[in-house]
Amino acid sequence: MSFFTDAMVRVRAMFLRETEERELDDEVRFHLERDAEERVRRGVAPEDARREAALALGGMESQKEQVRDARGTRPLEELASDIRYALRGLRRNPGFTLTGILVLGVGIGATSTVYSIVHSVVLADLPYPEPERLVRVVEKNSPTNIWALSTADVVSIRERQRVFAEWGESTRREVALSGTGTPSRIVVSPASSGYFRAIGIAVAKGRAIQPSDETAEAPAVAVVTDAFARRVLGSADAALGRVLTLDGVSHTVVGVLPPGRDELGGVRSEVWPALKLQPIVRRGPFWLRGLGRLKPGVSLETATADLARVSAEILPMWPDFRDSTAKLTPVPLREVIVGRSVKQVGLFAGGVALVLLLAIVNVATLVLVRASAREQELAVRLMLGAKRGRVARLLVTENLILTLTAAMLGLGLAFVGLDLAVAQLQSMPRIQDAALDWRVIALGIGAAVVSGILVSLSPIAALQGNTNLASHATGRRTDTSNRTSRMRAAFVVAEFALAWPLLVASGLLLSSFVRLQRVDPGFDPRGLVSIGVNLPSIRYPNDTTVFQFRARALQRLAAIPGVVSVGLADDVPPDPNHGNFDNFNLVHKPVPDGQAEPAVPWYYVDPTYFETLGIRIVDGRGYRSGNTADTLPMVIVSESWAKQFTPGESPVGRQLVQGGCYDCPRTTIIGVVEDIRNLGPALPMVAAYGSLVNNGTRSVEILARARAVTPSLLQTMRNELRALDPELPLVETVIADKVDASMADPMRWAAVLTAFAACGMGLAALGVFGLMAYTVRQRRRELGVRLALGAAPSSVTRLVVSRGMKYALIGSGIGLVMTLLFVNRIQTMLFGVSPIDPATFLAVAFMLAGSAFLASWIPGRRAARIRPMEAIGAD
Amino acid sequence: MNRDAMELLQGTLDVLILRTLAWQPMHGYAVSRWIRERTEGTIEIEDAPLYKALHRLERAGCVSAEWGVSENNRRARYYRLTATGRRRLREEESAWRRYAAAVFRVLEPA
Repeated sequence: MSFFTDAMVRVRAMFLRETEERELDDEVRFHLERDAEERVRRGVAPEDARREAALALGGMESQKEQVRDARGTRPLEELASDIRYALRGLRRNPGFTLTGILVLGVGIGATSTVYSIVHSVVLADLPYPEPERLVRVVEKNSPTNIWALSTADVVSIRERQRVFAEWGESTRREVALSGTGTPSRIVVSPASSGYFRAIGIAVAKGRAIQPSDETAEAPAVAVVTDAFARRVLGSADAALGRVLTLDGVSHTVVGVLPPGRDELGGVRSEVWPALKLQPIVRRGPFWLRGLGRLKPGVSLETATADLARVSAEILPMWPDFRDSTAKLTPVPLREVIVGRSVKQVGLFAGGVALVLLLAIVNVATLVLVRASAREQELAVRLMLGAKRGRVARLLVTENLILTLTAAMLGLGLAFVGLDLAVAQLQSMPRIQDAALDWRVIALGIGAAVVSGILVSLSPIAALQGNTNLASHATGRRTDTSNRTSRMRAAFVVAEFALAWPLLVASGLLLSSFVRLQRVDPGFDPRGLVSIGVNLPSIRYPNDTTVFQFRARALQRLAAIPGVVSVGLADDVPPDPNHGNFDNFNLVHKPVPDGQAEPAVPWYYVDPTYFETLGIRIVDGRGYRSGNTADTLPMVIVSESWAKQFTPGESPVGRQLVQGGCYDCPRTTIIGVVEDIRNLGPALPMVAAYGSLVNNGTRSVEILARARAVTPSLLQTMRNELRALDPELPLVETVIADKVDASMADPMRWAAVLTAFAACGMGLAALGVFGLMAYTVRQRRRELGVRLALGAAPSSVTRLVVSRGMKYALIGSGIGLVMTLLFVNRIQTMLFGVSPIDPATFLAVAFMLAGSAFLASWIPGRRAARIRPMEAIGAD
Repeated sequence: MNRDAMELLQGTLDVLILRTLAWQPMHGYAVSRWIRERTEGTIEIEDAPLYKALHRLERAGCVSAEWGVSENNRRARYYRLTATGRRRLREEESAWRRYAAAVFRVLEPA
């Protein structure tokens, strides 16, 4: 035979496979029938004749396979035929197929999304050369009390350290940007030349900051990001030499960072001016982030010891700073950047892993139930000579097709879901880099393959253990499949166990969230608006000009119709990132020598601030304005402050040393005000309020309380301030929005976990429903007999429901123990609720029991409606 | 299965099938029955090798197959000898005769 005809037959065989397969079926069947007829003619009973004929044929399946072998296309065909067969099987049972794909698809989708986030936020290397050598240096006097470095600290480190190959500092500042279109307020990060060398990232254009840029008399220069150069200056090439006016000071752009580089050392900033340090007059204030690159081979321990030595050496040099427990401490940069989010991401990942597990267990249950329904079909195939291995491979192929389709769906969902998730979780570091890369795709497909094989194991095991094939083949159902039914029960138990931690965690977060929302901010945010300004020192060179602007601004805003009251502050509540914590020491109750002075958030306000926010003065007095303005150092404290630091007495009239400045005049406490949630709903309300009257800070928030916040009111306020200074960038805040925003993070966590928990409970319920429905179908005959013998239909329902509940209860027992073991880990994310909150646990128990009841009651009712005669006759 | 049935010698099946089909087109079951009757049960062809051989011969172009109606009005697949098949039968037949004659010559007493 020529190669050509051979090829033609092969190709035809491939394409016409289905027809040929059917023809082969027909041909073999015809043979079988004729043979049986012949035997009947010879006097064999018809039923035996068929069986003999089948035996004589030597196994129909292997027969067909030998014929297929003869066609010579076998290696190519077998896979194709498996796939075709599997597709046919899946099509025949669309309910099963769709449920399986959806359940697993959602599971894989959620897992891929979360893994993308986990990878980018937690696992990925920091994007710098040899990132493990980078450390942030902080001041630390207890595991939780960590703060930034002072000028005195960094100068000492520069002079005395022996462990860093490179060392630099940066800080962060909000400035007014002008000279490039509309004035705006941007965040800049002044950094030293050492910072660039330590991080090890070269600029793409121009040059980095150099030591010569850091002297007082050097012209002001800045490095900008590629994104900023394109957005504001046209292009990276056009940026060099351009002048940016930052708070009125002209900065020449000398360098542009490589594209995509929008943060350095965990500091996200578009403009990096050269850091210029002022002469040191005292140990504080603490405002700089130190970054060191360890010399090769230097361990963190060595660095810690070296910096402790530096701390000890410089302590005696500054009598204003007496905290001998405060040590300069290196912290791996990775920990600084990633550390905060590990717990949240961990919870997130744990939740999604549970959902994926549940989905896999659920699909496994489905597959197993389906496999039991197909026991007969599989048994016939085996009896007709199909090899066990081949039947097993068919099952695996079928399940792999199912799970791989689910993976495609899941990855599609992840593709959409990731954008949504990233948009929701902007507060996480490095989340912008989250993307569906090959790892995630591999993970999704890997999860599909693993789950495809996992869910096939149980029916294959059942197949292996099944020796009583003949009875299956003849369609008589025997309960030999004890093993599979036990496996199914175990799956359902596992589902309930897995649902527990999900439900408890989401219950606790939800109840925290509800409690957070009920927290009284301490003031009425409705009608409150604030406009932030930052007066450039060029046009407002001294306190007089600053005070003049403030007074005029207040005057103009107060005159707007609809505005009830106006005031000033350096920050508006709620602000969890309030940066100004100042230490103090009460003169009449000083802290013991060598111990750290307490530090509290320190706000600066004007005399009308409390009135504008609606905060009452409960002791002493507020600040005065006009001719009787207070000029001596004074402070007003919150009720919580008084309770904590002067318990049992009035703090009014007491004095304190502020900021460790023992040479400065003492600060007098003149009043106590009601607590408000300055830092947001979950944080303490200890606060100190200094006076803005003699504080010429250029950056203030101008607050106004109006009867209603309307766009036209905002426009009028803007116009009034523009009339004072047209070049001033204005940043508006509607305080009610800010209060809402402070709830956003807890709400997101609660929402995400609740979604997971809902999936979990739904899957568990689906699992028990599927199992009980199957049990009812399988035990139809037995239940029918019971009913025929006079059992009440309700007792049949009860039988089914109690069986379902039994699984749910065993699962819940295991789940409860599992949950109790791990629940403490989410304590820090909770507010006002204990991690072993009995109400939450009870609610979870009831919800799961309820869903199990409902899920088994539906098949239970169906069981009660079985018509005995039909059921018994059916077999 | 017939206890007296003999193992089929390697390579015999094709020629038997071709020879059977030379009488008239038949379906597989008829081929098997015809050979059994013709050899009085001495040669009983197992079904699997039979269909395997039929399909192999079809692929080699020695037989062609088409669906027809059986003697009791059922759909059956009829195999018909082609020109190639006839030529092949002639070749194999003469080869077998020569072979058999040679074997007998050895077996018969001198």
